[in-house]
Amino acid sequence: MTPLLAARGVTWEAGGRTILGPLDLEVRAGECLGIVGPNGAGKTTLLRLLTGLLRPRSGEIVWQGRPYSDLSRRELAWHIAYVPQIRPARVPLSVEEVVLLGRYPHLSALQWAPRTGDFAAVDEALCRVGIEELRRRRVDELSGGERQAVFIAAALAQEAELLVLDEPTIHLDARHQSELAGLLLRLAGESGRTVVLATHDLNLAGLLGDRLLALAGGRILASGRPAEILRPDVLERLFRARFEIVRGGERPVTLLRLEPEP
Amino acid sequence: MTARPRLALLVLAVLALAALVGAPLAGSREISLADVLRGEPIAAAIFWQLRLPRVLLALLAGAGLAVSGLGFQTLFRNELAEPYTLGVASGAALGAVLALRLEESAALLGLPVVALASFAGALGATALVVGLGLRRRDTATSTLLLAGIAVSLSCSAIILFLQYLADSTQTFRIVRWMMGGLSVVGYGEVLWVLPWVLGGAAVLLFLRWDLNLLLMGEELAASRGVDLGRLRLKVLLAASLMIGALVAVAGPIGFVGLMVPHILRRWVGHDHLYLAPACVLGGGAFLILCDLAARTIMAPAELPVGVLTALLGGPFFLWLLVWRTRE
Repeated sequence: MTPLLAARGVTWEAGGRTILGPLDLEVRAGECLGIVGPNGAGKTTLLRLLTGLLRPRSGEIVWQGRPYSDLSRRELAWHIAYVPQIRPARVPLSVEEVVLLGRYPHLSALQWAPRTGDFAAVDEALCRVGIEELRRRRVDELSGGERQAVFIAAALAQEAELLVLDEPTIHLDARHQSELAGLLLRLAGESGRTVVLATHDLNLAGLLGDRLLALAGGRILASGRPAEILRPDVLERLFRARFEIVRGGERPVTLLRLEPEP
Repeated sequence: MTARPRLALLVLAVLALAALVGAPLAGSREISLADVLRGEPIAAAIFWQLRLPRVLLALLAGAGLAVSGLGFQTLFRNELAEPYTLGVASGAALGAVLALRLEESAALLGLPVVALASFAGALGATALVVGLGLRRRDTATSTLLLAGIAVSLSCSAIILFLQYLADSTQTFRIVRWMMGGLSVVGYGEVLWVLPWVLGGAAVLLFLRWDLNLLLMGEELAASRGVDLGRLRLKVLLAASLMIGALVAVAGPIGFVGLMVPHILRRWVGHDHLYLAPACVLGGGAFLILCDLAARTIMAPAELPVGVLTALLGGPFFLWLLVWRTRE
């Protein structure tokens, strides 16, 4: 079976220095791929390459056999929906309007109003994320967790095959983190949904990921099932910090050990 | 949800229509609508020949300035962006002054040289400002605004230099033109400006989805399928051509593009489907009223409308700066 997305020999440079790659990776239909690694490992850069927002300096990325360079921005948006980490401080629109804008790749400039199908997709996305009661509220008035849910709903309304999430739980308190994890687990479990997720939260990655990719210094240090990555030795090499396995099994739960300096 | 913007559009349409009919009746000599409709010769001549073209031009100029201001503000996600702060209007003014200085009555390919030079100036300034921004590989709004200020100051300096070189008659004409005015117009000018303003407003209306998405940031917009490069090109081209056409006829009229979208945004909301037409109607009505005030405050003398809008707009700009930083 051909993978949904394949990157071959992809590199990215900044300031004349290679900060990512060369690396190869595949995303298979229906899987959830978690990307973990320290700050500056290149997680966001990798996601921006995979979504086509950046064109790699060398190597190529193909979507079901078609190189990204042959696809327009709109065509890419039919296949890939992105929830970036950095979102605007001010969004002067209502929840419904923001989610409706997720339909952009399916809208034409010549149509005066969105079609019935667009509104149906918006309703479905709001329902899936469980924020129907917020639809008339202004995004500016919402809490961080609710906002995050709105942007995920907008990405779902895009009806793309692949959902790419960058640090979805960052800046959220414990309750919102656990609510969002529940939502993501439900979404990732839906049949036919493919997810790529970059996160600092190893437990979230272990919970959601069918496969994890450990990224350090722009290179893939290791990849495999959560049980193969979330091990003290791999994590210590990856983060240069010590971890404890609180609970083993296929989806291990880890704990960062904070100790006074000797 | 959509009741408020629709109601606002209706109110603005009524306001614009009332201004369009009412403004030509007032002036150094009051005339009545009844006389005009009855065909009383003097009243009809004043209404149809003298005042209506001027009011129509004010409507179109106000509409074009406000809509292009809206385009720039959304594109650069900065409420301080408008044809004047970005240097686009100064570029157009430089082109026009250059043409006035050289030969004002000549025509090239059937178009007046002043208009062509003004187009060239507007497009040149836009290209320069955006080029400077892109060259630094960031389209950060501060870079663009600073580049706009630099271009604007350079153009003003060159205009001053041209004035210095000119003889007194030319200098008077240039200075008077620089103040921005709608005083000597007929239907020719109105017809010349019409397609540019309507075309530019239509382009922005067609791009409403893209512009709405830009409110959420460039990265998110691009990930939804917006081709940012092409979007920038379309918006900049539409706005610059509008400004070029308007400056050629009316001279520089500042701050309309800053004030009108800002006020309307708070009333109509941010959806460009409603905001763009609201700017056309609101901008038009606003400039008609400004021009009416300019014609009547010191009657029988006339204040150039550009001076009036600048007097209103300067404090508004400062208020916006202070109020924005406090948010």
